[in-house]
Amino acid sequence: MIEMIDPRLTRLDLQTGEVPAKTKLDQLPTYEAFVQAKEPRPFKHEGGIHATSINMALIFAKEQYTRRGSCSGIWIISTKDIIVTDITDNSLDIYDRFDEIQDCDGDEYTIFHMTKRGSQHSFAGTVKASSPENALSCAKGNIERKKPVLNIWLVKTANIHKTTEEDKVLWTTTPEKLFREAIDYKTSDKLKQFKEAQRK
Amino acid sequence: MYGGGYLFEKTNTSELENEDQELLAIFEARIARGEKIEPNDWMPALYRKQLIRMIEQHAHSEIIGALPEGSWITRAPGFKRKLGLMAKVQDEVGHGQLLYSAAETLGKTREAMIDDLLSGRSKYSNIFNYPVYTWADSCFISWLVDAGAIVNQVANSKGSYGPYCRALERICIEESFHLKFGHHAVTYLATGTSEQQKMMQEALNRWWPPMLQFFGPPDKESVHTEILMRWKVKMLSNDDTRQQWLDMYVPKIWELGLTIPDEKLKKNEDTGKWEYTEPDWEEFIRVINGNGPCNEERLNVRKTAEKRGKWVRKAILGTAEYKEYVAPLA
Repeated sequence: MIEMIDPRLTRLDLQTGEVPAKTKLDQLPTYEAFVQAKEPRPFKHEGGIHATSINMALIFAKEQYTRRGSCSGIWIISTKDIIVTDITDNSLDIYDRFDEIQDCDGDEYTIFHMTKRGSQHSFAGTVKASSPENALSCAKGNIERKKPVLNIWLVKTANIHKTTEEDKVLWTTTPEKLFREAIDYKTSDKLKQFKEAQRK
Repeated sequence: MYGGGYLFEKTNTSELENEDQELLAIFEARIARGEKIEPNDWMPALYRKQLIRMIEQHAHSEIIGALPEGSWITRAPGFKRKLGLMAKVQDEVGHGQLLYSAAETLGKTREAMIDDLLSGRSKYSNIFNYPVYTWADSCFISWLVDAGAIVNQVANSKGSYGPYCRALERICIEESFHLKFGHHAVTYLATGTSEQQKMMQEALNRWWPPMLQFFGPPDKESVHTEILMRWKVKMLSNDDTRQQWLDMYVPKIWELGLTIPDEKLKKNEDTGKWEYTEPDWEEFIRVINGNGPCNEERLNVRKTAEKRGKWVRKAILGTAEYKEYVAPLA
């Protein structure tokens, strides 16, 4: 039998027994992260984040969703601030359910569209409106859409935390981290040598 | 990483009789057309229950699976291996986060999922209940266990639940790095000094039976999966996943001069299927039920983190901008 030399076993005072049930929000409130892969592509929903504040959510989102490749920005929105419409069947436009208004004024709302089941919500545009309901009608009148929209998310633009030009330094070293990439682990030469040596 | 050995609850299809038959027909037609189900869609309670169970097990497997490899970061040979392994372990923990979020969209809080992990109510992939004695064991996991997980995850990313599929697509991209990292590390051992070769061979011998178990019991013993396949919750049967993995990786293992500790192992050219000695399925059940070599230790490591971090979570929650639970959207 080989001896286990796991540092966790030899150095940690491991806890045993039962752990009390978690209290409410032990895992912290929820935020949604949107990432722009490259300018001028639209910001796309990437997924949820648990954090205590919108700033902390941004740092977590950076680690969770942008560890690799290029990225030109992140938006964070508190999940509770996002208003979600019903979802329709493919090819049915959810906007059919709303009146169309072209003349709009009020707070700025940011609109995200899902145009296919399974795809992520992406930024569609902004409108000025007096209420969320009004924002849907204003979006119908002012945001161009090429395909039927199945589901809409909307949020007051003021509630979006956006990375700035200056924040882009967050990603300056990302392309250097080749140790995270499959391409940095080539085995073909080693294998070839080994096979040749075996044949001799 | 995760294999096909999911444990589903007994599927009592009589539960479906209480569902709205019209909505059920729309739901099933949507899946049959290859469209995704999204969180706000109507879905039968049974679909929701089985999906939560599966995604939650998958999430726990990522978190617990990071422990055996995580303990090798400080002991990995050389700076490059340490960096690579650290990046891989970070990915695994990140996958856990993605999957917990996907399960949350179905209505179970993350708090409840972690409670169920720590109390033993929820399961995770059985293979992580085995010890990782040497660096070569860690390399076996990086390459071949991840390879097994990829076969399963690629299949499941074509399943029916939108948020789970999207999480899996992201996961699969990162797993391609894990696979190369693992193959690189195994190749260097297997083609290295005689001591390195021996260490790799011994690790392979230890991991072979749990690796075959990783994909779950043979199909003839896995009942209740018909409706899960129809609903595209489960995309490949356990045997099909195992066969795909054998097909892809047995030649790659042999190519490295390693031997596989099973005299019966061969591809039957007539059926196109691999034949092998069945691993001990009674042991599989025993280990799942908590009696494997490392079950207790793995959970204790997680419990230690839980207890030690409690005051931190409490302190930062005090500063939270708002204090209501809202499930992630998608």
